[in-house]
Amino acid sequence: MADFLATYGSLIVSMVLAAMLGLSLYLPLMSGQLSLASAGFYALGGYIAAILSTRVFVSADGTYPLGLLLVEMVIAGFAAGLLAVPVGILALRLRGIYLALATIAFVEILRVLSLNLDITGGAIGIFGIPQPFGSQIEYLWVAGPLLILTMLFLYRLERVRTGRALIAIREDELAAEAIGINPFFHKVLAFTLSAVLAGCIGALSAHVLNTWNARQGTFDASISHLAFVLVGGSRTFAGPVAGGMLLTFLPEALRALAGIAGLPDWLVQFLKDGRIIIYGLLIVLGAINFPQGLLTPAMFKRRRAALAPAIDGSQVD
Amino acid sequence: VQQVLNGLAIGSVYALFALGYTLVFSILRVINFSHGAVFTLGAYFTYALTGGAFGFNGLLANAQLPFGLPFPIALLLGSILAGLAAMLIERLAFKPLRVRGADPLLTLVSSLGVAVLIVNVIQYLVGAELYTFPDEIYSAFPAAVNFGAAANPAPVRTTQVIMFVVSLLILIALTWFINRTRTGKALRAVAEDATTASLLGIDTDRLILLTFFLSGFLGGMAGALVGSSVSIPGPYFGIAFGLKGLAVIILGGLGSIPGAVVGGLVIGLAESFVPGQYVAYKEAVAFAFLFVVLLIRPQGLLGGTLQRKV
Repeated sequence: MADFLATYGSLIVSMVLAAMLGLSLYLPLMSGQLSLASAGFYALGGYIAAILSTRVFVSADGTYPLGLLLVEMVIAGFAAGLLAVPVGILALRLRGIYLALATIAFVEILRVLSLNLDITGGAIGIFGIPQPFGSQIEYLWVAGPLLILTMLFLYRLERVRTGRALIAIREDELAAEAIGINPFFHKVLAFTLSAVLAGCIGALSAHVLNTWNARQGTFDASISHLAFVLVGGSRTFAGPVAGGMLLTFLPEALRALAGIAGLPDWLVQFLKDGRIIIYGLLIVLGAINFPQGLLTPAMFKRRRAALAPAIDGSQVD
Repeated sequence: VQQVLNGLAIGSVYALFALGYTLVFSILRVINFSHGAVFTLGAYFTYALTGGAFGFNGLLANAQLPFGLPFPIALLLGSILAGLAAMLIERLAFKPLRVRGADPLLTLVSSLGVAVLIVNVIQYLVGAELYTFPDEIYSAFPAAVNFGAAANPAPVRTTQVIMFVVSLLILIALTWFINRTRTGKALRAVAEDATTASLLGIDTDRLILLTFFLSGFLGGMAGALVGSSVSIPGPYFGIAFGLKGLAVIILGGLGSIPGAVVGGLVIGLAESFVPGQYVAYKEAVAFAFLFVVLLIRPQGLLGGTLQRKV
């Protein structure tokens, strides 16, 4: 077990982080808005944590205090949320393709800024971010509860007034408006929550990765976050979680497959390096064949519906 | 003067490239995110056809075609190949969704997937290093043309001039094709209303294929021109250029052909006027434009009014 955790610790932690990034993209999608801004807020959160931990909270002893990591996450989440409100108010007047494009532009502007500012370390980025834990797997103590809390939050959200309003907007914005839901307010709210989550994860990821640079917040990152949601399913919060975990696990599984003896060289090479090619293929195939993703709300309902007659039957007996 | 001319040169390529987006958008009402990848394809095809050798990375390490075509022919062939690739993309990633009448956002996502796929396949095959076209492709011309007086020189690199001239010729040919030919008329009819057009006996499906070919041809040629003027810095340059192209069409107005041309020239000029000390921020100019235009005038400079259908 100890061996297993030592080998796969960082994989497990990245799977949890990916699940939360998927959820961050899922939040605006709940209200039907395709926003690709998460990668930008994620990068922002990472830079905040990296700068704070290497310049402000410099500690003398070896391990970085865990409390400070949590403080950084709160600050990063707060800062991301603070930026998200004006950006959301401006951008969410747009719909569909226009919104997707505006958020891509936002991510690109942040990326160019981070490449050129001194405080973000330019193209090299910031490295040597202090570690609060001795091994990678211990990050699960922070990432695990955060994922569970986020999922609980979303589970509740889908069942309370605000969440139902978001879903109503997704299904039919005009009808939602007609029954007294303010679509704009709810969209900005979902966008801001998404940014807060992305900022927190960015702060945590900066420590997990030990280094942070402009490559973290690129168009590519936006696309992989989108793939998490689309492959997993965009209609229930379980979808992005499953998608994020699966797509993060996949390259490792492929790498393991490459270790099987007797495979031709080209296949081994492809399994090792072809990760993003497979991502692209999955996005295309997913969009065409599984527009709903792997997990759909109907799956959860069907199980309940299947249980219902059984319960009724037992009562008759 | 020099800045204006350089801006016009790069702007004309932006226009050429953005027209590829515009054509597909005006017919299908979707943004084809794979257009940036087709741009990359055009650049690499043309590079390979001129007899350029690939580097030591990737599956096709050190591969080289046994012949080298003169640049104009390679440019034409490379662009045609890119056009064919775009037709293939239409059949594999757009048609299945169109037949089902799927959400346009899903088509957008599918084309994004294609872009990611193509760019990474290229990287997988030939590596990510920088390729420079051989110098002799423009050897018939001097290295720079002076557009100023002898006392007040305004030299512009020949490659920029060629870029401008070729783009201009293609733009004129395209305008003629769309406005003056029967097929062009049919294209405009489909753009206006696909259902009515098909009722009038226009083969919509074939015209969509043609549109994708034209779009890929324009994108591929833009890629080859930019690649030959500077260099091919790796497969991802198409994605970056593709995002800039989006800024161009949004600025000009989605689906508007004159809009794409104006948008391209405006962004090209704006970029060339970025002062020297802020040159690192040049990349952000197009995106700043994109963001601001979307907020102030989402229909673009030359677009019609946006209608929200119930």
